[in-house]
Amino acid sequence: MNPFTWASARVQTRFRSWWHARLPRTDTQLLTHRNVFILPTRAGCLFASTLLVLLVASINYQLNLGYALTFVLAGSGLVSMQLTHDTLRGLTLHLRPVGPVHAGEAALLDVVLTSPDAARWGVGLRVHAASAATLSWTDVPAGGQATAQVSFAPKQRGRHDIPALTVESRFPLGLFRAWTVWRPAAQVLVYPRLESPSAPLPPTSAASDGPMASRHSSGTEFEGIRAYRRGDPLKMVVWKKAASAMETEGKLVSRDSSASAHQQLWLDWQSCGDLSAEERLSRLAAWVLAVDRSGADYGLRIPGVELTRGQGEAQRRASLEALALWT
Amino acid sequence: MDLTRAALPLPWRGWVRLPREARDTLFLLAVIGWTVLPHLSHLPLWCSMLTGSILVWRAWLALSNAALPSRWWLVAVLLLACGLTLWSHRTLVGRESGVTLVVVLMALKTLELRARRDAFVVFFLGFFLVLTQFFYSQSLLVAFAMLVSVWGLLTALVLAHMPVGQPALRQAAWLSARSALWGTPLMVLLFVLFPRIGPLWGVQQDRLGKTGLSSTMRMGSMAELAADESVAMRVRFLGTAPPPEALYFRGPVLAQFDGREWTPLPPSLVTSLQPLADLRTSGPSIAYEMTLEPQRIPLLPLLEAAPAAPEIDGYRVRVTEDLQWYTDQLVFERLRFTARAHLTFQHGPLRAVPGLQHYLELPFGANPRTLAWARAMRRQSRYAQADVQELAALVLQRISQGGYTYSLTPGVYGEDGGLDAVDEFWLDRKIGFCEHYAAAFVVVMRAFGVPARVVTGYQGADTARVEGYTIVRQSHAHAWAEYWRSGSGWLRTDPTAAVAPDRILRSRNLQPEPGLMASALGEFSPALLQRFRTSWEALNNRWNQWVLNYSQGQQFDLMKSIGFTSPSWHDLALLLIAVFCALSVTGAAWAWWEQRRQDPWIRQFAQARRALRTLGLSAQSHDPPRVLAERVRARFGEHGASLAELFYTMEQQHYGRKALNRPPASLTRALRLQARYLQVEAR
Repeated sequence: MNPFTWASARVQTRFRSWWHARLPRTDTQLLTHRNVFILPTRAGCLFASTLLVLLVASINYQLNLGYALTFVLAGSGLVSMQLTHDTLRGLTLHLRPVGPVHAGEAALLDVVLTSPDAARWGVGLRVHAASAATLSWTDVPAGGQATAQVSFAPKQRGRHDIPALTVESRFPLGLFRAWTVWRPAAQVLVYPRLESPSAPLPPTSAASDGPMASRHSSGTEFEGIRAYRRGDPLKMVVWKKAASAMETEGKLVSRDSSASAHQQLWLDWQSCGDLSAEERLSRLAAWVLAVDRSGADYGLRIPGVELTRGQGEAQRRASLEALALWT
Repeated sequence: MDLTRAALPLPWRGWVRLPREARDTLFLLAVIGWTVLPHLSHLPLWCSMLTGSILVWRAWLALSNAALPSRWWLVAVLLLACGLTLWSHRTLVGRESGVTLVVVLMALKTLELRARRDAFVVFFLGFFLVLTQFFYSQSLLVAFAMLVSVWGLLTALVLAHMPVGQPALRQAAWLSARSALWGTPLMVLLFVLFPRIGPLWGVQQDRLGKTGLSSTMRMGSMAELAADESVAMRVRFLGTAPPPEALYFRGPVLAQFDGREWTPLPPSLVTSLQPLADLRTSGPSIAYEMTLEPQRIPLLPLLEAAPAAPEIDGYRVRVTEDLQWYTDQLVFERLRFTARAHLTFQHGPLRAVPGLQHYLELPFGANPRTLAWARAMRRQSRYAQADVQELAALVLQRISQGGYTYSLTPGVYGEDGGLDAVDEFWLDRKIGFCEHYAAAFVVVMRAFGVPARVVTGYQGADTARVEGYTIVRQSHAHAWAEYWRSGSGWLRTDPTAAVAPDRILRSRNLQPEPGLMASALGEFSPALLQRFRTSWEALNNRWNQWVLNYSQGQQFDLMKSIGFTSPSWHDLALLLIAVFCALSVTGAAWAWWEQRRQDPWIRQFAQARRALRTLGLSAQSHDPPRVLAERVRARFGEHGASLAELFYTMEQQHYGRKALNRPPASLTRALRLQARYLQVEAR
């Protein structure tokens, strides 16, 4: 990269970040002529030069209808500028709450566009930093609502601001591009990246609290079978039935023990071997999901945080959030 | 059964069910086809065939959803087209070859619609193509067809920017019409005020085969002209109109004859040795306004005899000694000007002067039998010493009584390249039209030793006048003769009148065969055909007067009517800029006003809250009226009952079943009044 482009790119980045920082963060944005911008597109410039050539031809050949053609196109072009701007102006953008995602996965942003008056055509949304090819197009009916989805994939765990979104339109003639940059106020919680392939669950440790431990040790009486769930220890699989199940394209079957429903397990920072902190968090997140699927009780121990045993939705959320926000 | 039908390729399954992509492409192809269609008459055959087959092929590709051809293939066809253009037009840069190339490029580009940019190139080429149509014709019909084209192109452009789902064509058409309609005032403004300046640089004018007067005359060339019903000029007399037989519009004067072709005298002779024009008019002059279609030669066919040059902006008009009115440059626009004419006049030298002998020259060895005939006549005792006028009368008498016939299709004279066409006409076949009679008359007069020349131009006009305009068509092109008489000068005589008085008296030509449609209508109801034709002419006339003829002169007239004393095109440009600035400021003010505009109910509610705050009550913007009413009650008890009631009314008016669009101002006043009352009460 030559120094000039490097410098100009840098200035551009600085300018953009300064400008974006000025934009207030809000989850519901009304587009007015204060925040909708408009500039001619490359096609618009091409159109202007076409008009110039048509005009020169009309002058040189003294064609009055040539003048009429040139001016009717110029008039339509100028009107289209207003129409393009009107496509965005007056729209209300609203971001629906964004659910948590794992790092590396796409977070879907549901944006509701509301038009108080006329119908809007060809409104495109994208994450500001993404390429123009990722635009997701939608039409907004008159006096109604439409939903557009855009996605972005956060790379790091933690609580992230939603990136700035661009809403743009070139309707009707594509000679002008009207756009707005919108910084939603909402944040998205990003869980650690899931380890893949996931490591086997740690052995059920003899926990310090007596009654549960004793129940755990007696929990080897099998009370039946059930469908295999991801995370079941290999020794729980009923291998005798596996062969016939595979032939008929059936599923694997695991032994079910009364204990497995109450089996409790500590997902411990220490049991992850000698991995880096992020890798440990990834592994723990994968384990949390695996244990949650099996329906067992589990607790989480990471430096500075200890979640007591529990199960279900609430436990999973709490665990993953703890992993996401661990510092 | 149904399954097999569904599996068939698409064309017979209906337009609506086509996939979006295919439908849009077909629509664009149809628009392109429509735009190219009027060009077919002047495109080389290979170009029409190539364009047609490419468009059809592209349509087939769209229907069968097949892949587009590779770029190399396109380059090959383009090179082939360039080669063929070079072969057809001998050049690649002229206007004709440009049009051919644009048509081919347009068709080829449809095979390359990959990105949005490609689509734009097609649209812009389409606009060029529409413009090139105006090189050939700017008639009302062409304008209408091209309006449809522009609408189609804009619709396709709008369709390309509706990326979601399958928008209806009708909707896209309406949206594009809307932007064009809203742009119309702007277009009219620009059309009226944009300064009409001359060509920025000289452009090569291709011969486009337009009919009109020519500066030469060959046996047979006038027959082509006579079959052409297009309008040559429109004349509005500012007084009583003279009868058609008196209307002689003087065009090129042809005095030199080589046996085959009549041409004007060479320029060197015209300037140095010509007898002076010396126009002597008598009687009152007639003023008229003429709207002249572009002519092929730099000459104004003015009504005989014009005493002075008409004033035309941008042109210098000069008169030659044989009374031809020349412009200093070729005229490519419709001209409108006023001129005067004296219907009774004399011109030319009164006495024999050097220079008249040019009007006696005959090609050596040509038409020997006519010359012999003339000598024989001259030898007769009664003509030996006859006056020139008697000789002319002799010739005219022979024409009217010698078994001559008037016909627009007499066949070709002097076919084998011989010089004896006049012999053949005058003595053998005796059938012809104005130019045969004029030529024969002049040859015979010269053979008698009388100076004579052929004058071409237009004679007569349509008998029906259209909105005060007398219409002269190309079919009124005519040739007559002048001979010189000592003591009188040049005398006009019309030999055709001797054989076909109708042609001169009622301007009734022998009509060529009308078209199929016109003849059917004519048989069904001649009156209807006539009325239809008259109103069509009227419409065309307005079109010409107001649109095509609109030029710098009209612009300056407009400027004068709004108070500019001596307008120039700089003033026009300034006026245009001023109007644009005014419009922009108005637009900005409107946007500002609209930005400030607030829902009237919200404004009323804000006023009500302010009133409450003066009472020391808290009133936040998120408190609904009901809550405010409770607060009023809580603070003032029974005293505040009526104020609280007003708040309930306010709520009713906005959210209730009979909500109002615009809350009444009386409520606001009542609110304020009550608040003030409570304030006083509290003290």
